[in-house]
Amino acid sequence: MAAVDPIPKSDAEAQGIDLDSFARLGDEEAVFLRILARVPGYAEAIWGAMSESLFEGNVDHRLKEIVRLQLASTAEDAYFGDLRSKEALASGLTEERIAAGRTGFDTDPDFTDAEKWALRYAWLMYRRPEQVDADFYAEGKRHFSEAEIMELGGLIAIHYGMQVFMRTMGNPA
Amino acid sequence: MQFHPEQIDASFYDRLREHYTDAEIVELGVFIGFNVGYHTFFRTLDFYPMFAPDGTLVSQDESRRIFGDSPVSHLSERVAEALARRDGTGGEGDS
Repeated sequence: MAAVDPIPKSDAEAQGIDLDSFARLGDEEAVFLRILARVPGYAEAIWGAMSESLFEGNVDHRLKEIVRLQLASTAEDAYFGDLRSKEALASGLTEERIAAGRTGFDTDPDFTDAEKWALRYAWLMYRRPEQVDADFYAEGKRHFSEAEIMELGGLIAIHYGMQVFMRTMGNPA
Repeated sequence: MQFHPEQIDASFYDRLREHYTDAEIVELGVFIGFNVGYHTFFRTLDFYPMFAPDGTLVSQDESRRIFGDSPVSHLSERVAEALARRDGTGGEGDS
């Protein structure tokens, strides 16, 4: 039971919220959206930003899904940590790669240098943010455009932020 | 939420409900989560304050020249004063 109960599906749909859009992340019940729906406009705005950063853009979606799940581990958020992007799974993302993205990625030969930088970016952001400095960004620019770095940074910020919130919701399943 | 999320448990939410509706609790929680996520990210981008100490809007280069290696918001002094007034430990405006 969540600390704040999700509103009924029918009420969320009456607000015009597209609950089906959350199925892309594997939660057919759209619990997160129905909790946010308690505040008018929040579900569309917040999920819109999360969805845009995860499913759109130039950076490989599978890499972003690994980053998202590493962040859920950092936030100790079981809700988002249990969800999987259907598109990432369909395009070959495995649980082995997801687990590899949480620990030991720096020495994993199956990650490219660009992927290692992105995973380190997420890892350091909320553990050692002081290490994400000018030199770190200079290294990132050898692998990604500035737009792609902002795409990753935005993904990391919005998803981690909502994960720390959902962690406090208890068990919303 | 950022530093001791494990303390935000069912009893914590029960106490919140003495003051806020469920909608307001979600509003606060999402607002805090959003800011935890983005402010840490923005910190890494090495932003400088948009305003000089006199409140003038300045460029990032000008702000860097004004504030040096350790930028501090021109509002920090006012925030400290407000906190001191709240805590009864002095600050401008105390009678």
